Amino acid sequence: MSAEVALTVALVGRPNAGKSTLFNALTGGTVKVGNFPGITVEAVTGQTTLEDGRALRVVDLPGVYSLVGAGDPDSDEGHALRSLDALKGSPHVLAQVVDATQLAPALRLTKELLARGQPLLLIVTQHDLLVTQGSTLDVPGLSEALGVQVVAVSAKEPGLRVKLLHAIADVARLGPSAAVRTFDDAALAARVVRHDGGLKDRLRARTERLDAVLLHPLLGPLVFLGLMTVLFASVFFVAEPVSAAIDAGTRFLAQHLEATLGPGRLTSLLVDGVLGGAGTVLIFLPQIVVLTVVLELIEASGYLARCTFLVDRLLRFVGLGGRSFVPLLTAHACAVPAIQATRIIREPGQRLRTILVLPLMTCSARIPTYGLLIAAFFGARSAWFKSAAFVALYVGGILAAFGASLVLGSRVKRAGASKPLVLELPHYRRPQARVMARLAWRTASRFVKDVGSVIVVASVVLWTLLNVPSPGGGDVVVPEGSSEKVVAMHRSLAASVGRALEPLTQPAGFDWRINVGLIGSFGARELMVGTLGVIFGIEGEDAEAPLAERLRETKTASGAPAYGVPTALSLMVFFIIACQCMSTLAAVRRETRSWRWTGFVVAYTYGLAYGLAVLVFQLGSRLLA
Amino acid sequence: MSVPMTSSAATLDVLEVGRAAQVKALALDAVEADWLRAVGLVEGVAVTVLRRAAFGGPLHLRLSTGLELAVDRALAARVEVSP
Repeated sequence: MSAEVALTVALVGRPNAGKSTLFNALTGGTVKVGNFPGITVEAVTGQTTLEDGRALRVVDLPGVYSLVGAGDPDSDEGHALRSLDALKGSPHVLAQVVDATQLAPALRLTKELLARGQPLLLIVTQHDLLVTQGSTLDVPGLSEALGVQVVAVSAKEPGLRVKLLHAIADVARLGPSAAVRTFDDAALAARVVRHDGGLKDRLRARTERLDAVLLHPLLGPLVFLGLMTVLFASVFFVAEPVSAAIDAGTRFLAQHLEATLGPGRLTSLLVDGVLGGAGTVLIFLPQIVVLTVVLELIEASGYLARCTFLVDRLLRFVGLGGRSFVPLLTAHACAVPAIQATRIIREPGQRLRTILVLPLMTCSARIPTYGLLIAAFFGARSAWFKSAAFVALYVGGILAAFGASLVLGSRVKRAGASKPLVLELPHYRRPQARVMARLAWRTASRFVKDVGSVIVVASVVLWTLLNVPSPGGGDVVVPEGSSEKVVAMHRSLAASVGRALEPLTQPAGFDWRINVGLIGSFGARELMVGTLGVIFGIEGEDAEAPLAERLRETKTASGAPAYGVPTALSLMVFFIIACQCMSTLAAVRRETRSWRWTGFVVAYTYGLAYGLAVLVFQLGSRLLA
Repeated sequence: MSVPMTSSAATLDVLEVGRAAQVKALALDAVEADWLRAVGLVEGVAVTVLRRAAFGGPLHLRLSTGLELAVDRALAARVEVSP
C-alpha cells in the first residue's frame, strides 16, 4: 500500500449516486454503502494498482449537489471543494459518478466540474436499472455533447474494476477537454436517454407500496415508534444468550486459573485484574454488534431518509430538524461518527445545537454499565421488565437531548439563515448481507481489540492502585472478617482517593468504590464496568459469582447493604448525561473548532448529571424507603 | 433579493395531492434558489405532491425526472407552480 502514488482519482457526485459502491469496486475496500443522501461524512481514501502497475489513489468525496454555493466551509460542499482544489498540481482525474436514472440534475454538477478545467470522467452507474425501466442511454452521444469520456456501468457487472481503471487511465492520458461545451442539461438528458416504455419500474412500484405504509399519516409514526422500541429492546433480548455464554466462559477460565496457579498475587492480578476487568466488559460484545448492524440496516434500506420525513416537524419543535435525525440515530452506536455526520445539516446554528446534545444519546459504550445495573438490581424481574428498563434508558437519553436542545434554544446561534428541509428520498434497497456481515465482524473485532488493549491496561493499572497502600490508610475501618486482600484494598491509594470524594458524591449515593469507577471511566465510560469488575473481583470471596451479584451483596463497614435501587437509578441517570468520553470531546472540538464549546459540553453534562443524580437518589431513598 | 410573489400564482404547499403541476418560479433568495435548482427542483420541471407529513411537516414530492424529495412546507410555499 505504500507504493508511490502515480495518479489520484476523486469520486465526486450527488449524494446517493453510488460513489461508495464504485469506491469499493475499485479498491476492494469496505466503505459502508449508505442509502441516505450525504452519508459519506468525510473523504475516504483507498489505494489500488493501475493496469500498468502504477499506484492509483482513490478518494471518495462526500456527496454534493453543487459546488458553487459552498459558502460554509464546514459543510459537505466545503469539504468536497477543498479536496478538489487540493488535487491541482499533481496528476489526477475527477470522476463524476452519475445515477443513470437521475441524469438531468446531475448534468448541472457536470457543468460546474467542466468549468474547473480539471480532467473529467463521467461514470454513469445504475445502467442495469435504467435498462429494466425500459430506457436506453446514448453513451457516445452524451460523450460527444459534453466533450468528456463517458463510461456506463452497473454495480454488479463482472469486470467492473478493470473497465473503470481503463477509463480512468484514458482520461489521465488525454487530460482536460480542450473546449468547454455549452449545453442545456434538461434538453441534453432528454435527448440521450430514450424511453422505450413498456416495462414497469419495479423498484419504484416497491417503493410506492412501502411508502404507502411507512409514510402513512397514522401508521407511519406508529411503525417508526414500534421499530425504535424493538431496536432498543432487541439490544437486550437478542444479545442475552450470547452474553451469558461469554460470561460463563470467562468465569470458567477464572476458576481454572485459580485452581492451577493457587492463591497469590499473580492469580489475583490475572483473575481480579484482567478477567474481572476486561472479561466483564467482553460480555457486552453481542449487544454492541446487534445495535450497530440494525442501525446500518435502517440506513442501507433507505428507511433512514423516511425517518427524517416523519420526525422533521417534531425535531423542529425542540430546535433541531429532520437532518439532525441522522446524527441523533447514529449516536446510539457512537457519538464520534455522529458528530462528523452533522456536516449534512445545512444550518450552522442547528448543526451546533445538534453537536452539543449528541453526547446525551445512549451510545453503545453505556450498554455495559446499564446491563450491569439492571442485572444487579432488577435481576429477579422478568425479561420483559428488564428490556423495558433498557428502552426507558434509551428514551431517557433522547428526552435529555431534546430538553437540552430546548434550553439551548436561541442561545446557540451562528451566522447563516434558517435553512428548511430539502432531502432526497431514495428508493428502498435490499441491504447486502455481505456488507452487513463485514460490518458485524469489524465492529466485533474493534471491540475485542479495545477490550484487549485499553481495558486490560486500565484494569491492570487499577488493580495495582488498589494494592498500593495509601499513606495514612492504615486506620480505615474494614468490615469484620474481611480477608487480607480486601483489607489491603480498603487501605489502598485508589480507595483513599475515592473516599476523599465521598462528601461530594454521598448525596448521589456514590461511595468510594463507585467514585473510583467514575474516575477510571472519565476518559472512556466503557471502563466503568471493567473498573468495578476489578474492585468487586478483589472483594468477592467467590471467583465464580457474577459481578452483578457481588455488587448487590456488597456491605458497608457497618454491615448494611452498600447499594440499593436508588443508587442504581442515580448512577443510571449520571451515565445518561455525563459526557465521559475523550473521543467525543475531541470530535466536538474538531467540528466546532472551539475549545469554549468543548468545555461547555463537559461543564453542562457533568453539572446536570451530578444535579439529577442527587435529585434521583434523594427522591428514590425517600420514596422507596 | 427575494422575488415578490404574485398573488394569483398557486404555490406548491397548496397543491392537491396526486395532481401534477409545473414549477414556474422560486420566490427565494438567490443562494437558496440555486441550491434547490442543484438538487433538481428547477423551473420547468413537473412536480406531484405524493403526501404531506402530519402536523404541518414536510411534503413528499416526485419530480418528472423521477427524483423524490422531502421539502419543508414553508419552503414549498415559496415555490410557484402552474397546473
